[in-house]
Amino acid sequence: MKWTWTIIALLAAALAAGCAHKKGFEKPGFAYGCPIGDAKISSMEDLIKAKVLTEGKRTTIQATEIRCTMTSDHLRIDANLNNDSSKVKRINYKFRWIDREGMRAWEEEVWKPLLMYENSNLMVSSIAPTNKAVDFRLILLSQE
Amino acid sequence: MTYPSHTRRLALLPLVAVALAAGCAQEKTHYGDEKAVETVTNQFGSTDLQMIAESMTRSMLQTPIIVSGNLPIVTVQEVKNKTSEYIDTRSITDSIRAELQKSGKVRFAVDAAAMQQQVEELQRQQSELYEKEQAAEKGKMVGAQYRMEGNITSIVKQAKDVKDVYYKFNLQLWNIRNGLLEWTDEKQIRKTTSKG
Repeated sequence: MKWTWTIIALLAAALAAGCAHKKGFEKPGFAYGCPIGDAKISSMEDLIKAKVLTEGKRTTIQATEIRCTMTSDHLRIDANLNNDSSKVKRINYKFRWIDREGMRAWEEEVWKPLLMYENSNLMVSSIAPTNKAVDFRLILLSQE
Repeated sequence: MTYPSHTRRLALLPLVAVALAAGCAQEKTHYGDEKAVETVTNQFGSTDLQMIAESMTRSMLQTPIIVSGNLPIVTVQEVKNKTSEYIDTRSITDSIRAELQKSGKVRFAVDAAAMQQQVEELQRQQSELYEKEQAAEKGKMVGAQYRMEGNITSIVKQAKDVKDVYYKFNLQLWNIRNGLLEWTDEKQIRKTTSKG
């Protein structure tokens, strides 16, 4: 009897392990809807590392989530920024649009100032100015 | 009343110091980043203009009449300045027009402001100075299907040490044939200046 229960438990564990495979992305070359090319992206952290550049001084404001979608053949980005500091922070941000050849698909955007309350999240969105833009970078510049 | 000579010399010292300081305070000029956030004063500035143009262009490019790919023909009309300060609204619409034209999804017909020059050029080409076959003919201009107009308003509040300015820029795209509003969007900007 004891053996039967042990076998059932082992079978259940094996089944659970089989189902809990690593999350795959629905489209090759894309992660969370964002273009990734040949980059090895297996988590949101990897995606943020690949797409977010920080310039200037170190800041407590961090991108925590990026999602992309195509809206009428233009790449659209939603990026969540988080200020986990107990102080109001100011930051500038812009998107850089990249074409299929890895060149700039559009001229550099204007820096957009942003005020973030203490311990808050803010979603910044943008849409590519041209359908030639197939990739992007979110650039953060601290104002501290 | 006469002062001793050394007292007179001492009295001249501050004047000499001021003159020297003025002479040393040289002006420095350098090029800056035209896309940088400008916060010299809280009046309407280059960052506001660029943010408005960028935001309006991106939004307008998503409107169905532009997405359809039919290359709609638009004419630019006035953006009314309803704020208390001087704003060159033509500069804002020029930036929006440049971005839209660059996208290759919109065409622009000559607007009222440029009509005089357009007519003059047509008439000049109709003169005997030009070869008839190559000269631009009258009656061939294409009318716009849509007109773009808008307004900018502001609310200014000022207390002892704080000045708060809120701008609201509204842009609309009207169908000239049927008078329908095809697209509209707003960009809001708040700037606060505090002393100390």
